Amino acid sequence: MTRGMIRVLGACSGTALLAGALSAQEARTIQVATHYTQEQAAPLLACFEAYEAEHPGITIEHQQTAYGDFLQTILTSRVGGTAPDIYNVYSVWVPQLASAGVLEPPPAGVADFITQNYSPATVGAATIGGQLWGIPTELSIYALVYNRKLLEQAGYGEPPRTWAELREIAQKITTTNDQGNIDVGGYAYGTSVAEGVHPFYAQMFAEGVAPFAEDGRSTNLTSPEAVKVLSEQAALFADGITSNAITVDNFASGAVAMQISANWNKFGWQEAFGDQFADTVGVAPIPHDGGEGGTMLYSFLWAVDATSDAKEESWDLLSYLNTPRADGLSCTGEMLAGMGAFSGNTADLERMTAGGDAFDKAYVEEVTSGRAVTQPNIWQAAEADRILRGYIDQAWAGSLSAEEALASADAEIQAILDEQP
Amino acid sequence: MRAFLSSKKAAPWLFLSPVILFALVFFVLPVVFAAYVSLTTWDSLTPPRWVGLRNYEYLLTRDPVFLRTLWQTLYFAIGTLAIGVPLALVLAYAFSRSRHQGLWRVLYTVPMVTNIVAIGFIFWFVFRQTDGLLNRVLGLFGLPGPGWLTDPGLAMTSAILVFVWMELGRNMLLFAAGLGSIDESYYEAAKLDGAGHWQLFRFVTLPLLRPTLLFVVITGFISGMSYFTLMLVLFPGTQGGPSRAALTTGQYMYQMAFEDLRMGRASAVSYILFALVSVVTLIQLRVMRRGGVDAH
Repeated sequence: MTRGMIRVLGACSGTALLAGALSAQEARTIQVATHYTQEQAAPLLACFEAYEAEHPGITIEHQQTAYGDFLQTILTSRVGGTAPDIYNVYSVWVPQLASAGVLEPPPAGVADFITQNYSPATVGAATIGGQLWGIPTELSIYALVYNRKLLEQAGYGEPPRTWAELREIAQKITTTNDQGNIDVGGYAYGTSVAEGVHPFYAQMFAEGVAPFAEDGRSTNLTSPEAVKVLSEQAALFADGITSNAITVDNFASGAVAMQISANWNKFGWQEAFGDQFADTVGVAPIPHDGGEGGTMLYSFLWAVDATSDAKEESWDLLSYLNTPRADGLSCTGEMLAGMGAFSGNTADLERMTAGGDAFDKAYVEEVTSGRAVTQPNIWQAAEADRILRGYIDQAWAGSLSAEEALASADAEIQAILDEQP
Repeated sequence: MRAFLSSKKAAPWLFLSPVILFALVFFVLPVVFAAYVSLTTWDSLTPPRWVGLRNYEYLLTRDPVFLRTLWQTLYFAIGTLAIGVPLALVLAYAFSRSRHQGLWRVLYTVPMVTNIVAIGFIFWFVFRQTDGLLNRVLGLFGLPGPGWLTDPGLAMTSAILVFVWMELGRNMLLFAAGLGSIDESYYEAAKLDGAGHWQLFRFVTLPLLRPTLLFVVITGFISGMSYFTLMLVLFPGTQGGPSRAALTTGQYMYQMAFEDLRMGRASAVSYILFALVSVVTLIQLRVMRRGGVDAH
């Protein structure tokens, strides 16, 4: 081999190595963690492919984790140094994640995009102490859901507006079997923490009082309104209108007349009631005594990991996924519409409800009217909710009065709120 | 060094080294680390902060749930032993003297090989208040239908009954093996002395079965003290049954660690539970060794 030939080969090898190194620098893999199944996330996955085609060198991987394991998975991946670049997180987890430095605040351009394109309530769900932490996505709103047919059979053409009316209607509808157990419940709660605590918060908002102070450092659980709400709930148990055995899950089988539930249940009820859905399931504002009324909403949000080595690319991808397209919904909006959920993006929400049914419109009315208030993003929210649920259970069971239960819950939760920096 | 490695002294350590390394990494290290973590406050995201014995002080003096879960866990562990062990012993003894033993063994090992989630579903349908199988049967006799899984006063008892059913096969298998190892000559000698069925069981079977009994009671107690999988499937979505009536210390510890991110406090719970199990196990060993096991 001549010396010239060696030089040529050497130059070629050097060029190839340099090119390889450069392309390796440009190549980025963005890992996106959500609790949505592959089937639910199908529109999103299609958008990932489209984004990859438009941005050579970018590869996007979807990591699906069950909702119940999501927070633990984030923790484990952080400890192991394999954290995803993008998370879809529940808004109440944000205070801890932000405090621990897990989340990266959005850049100014993305923050402007959020404040200009999302309603104040949804922006509030992604904001802690004035700092925005991500792009709001799925909105869950609470309202009174009722079985029109059961109410009509009992002689009521309209849903209740006050708690006294609700109690009267529920009493009339409730039937029991030979053993004294409820066959058809006038009203129902659920067994999970959220199914007890969220309706309680929603009722507090309906009575005009937020469950927590605006700065998240104290509770309003011992307020007269909170005691009134829990006393009224406990009275439904004491009078045999509801019980632990008849739960919100029984609504789909026609064994429950009324309950406070979130909109994301729609598809399950559509499957259960089929073509009778519209004639059976009604939605109304939460019954309350006086005032404007109100309810609670909570949101998920897209957030970026603070240790990601592709932060800029991640925010760019999120902007792409959440910007409504010329011909319709944003990628995120399309996925949420497919699940029967609402998007926090104002333009998406308008498009979703333009062709929506009475069910959708009743829920969205809670947002557009301003009645729906964001679930407070307090410190250790999940723990506080669990403590509260424990005491709500004891009030329902009659082992504590509403005042005692809420005073105990307040003391324990206040101790947790005092821990925050 | 080479001389040492090729010596007879080094050989056992070389052969044992993979196991020792495994035990160090997966047992000793976590145990020591948990002891350290129990003296800190740690959310696994930020560095641990030293708090000394404050986690223990909080759990033992101020936590309104922890002591309650300890009592509930003890109730569960002792309840399952009090019902499950005598039942398994009597059934194993009866089956050991019956025909078709192969068939019985197949039947009583069925709960052992049944998936816990399937067991949860089966008993959920049995125990449902309004339309469950058990209450339907009670209804046929005009009896009331209690809330087996929804009444705080009954929830843990229901869990105990299901756990007894789950563990029955395992305990019967152990007792059957123990019974099989008792020499028939003891029974023959006792019969010649005029012993009846009860006397054979009381004065021959029971004393000679004490090692098996000790094993069943100790392992049953330890598993009962740390168990909560059944509660997760029997009371899905709840915090340990209605009004936390079936919340065990193990499940409470899990909630603390992985839902509330209170790793320090959860580690302290694990150490308190460890201490409690150790003390009770030592008492069991001391009591049950009296009068036979040591000699046996």
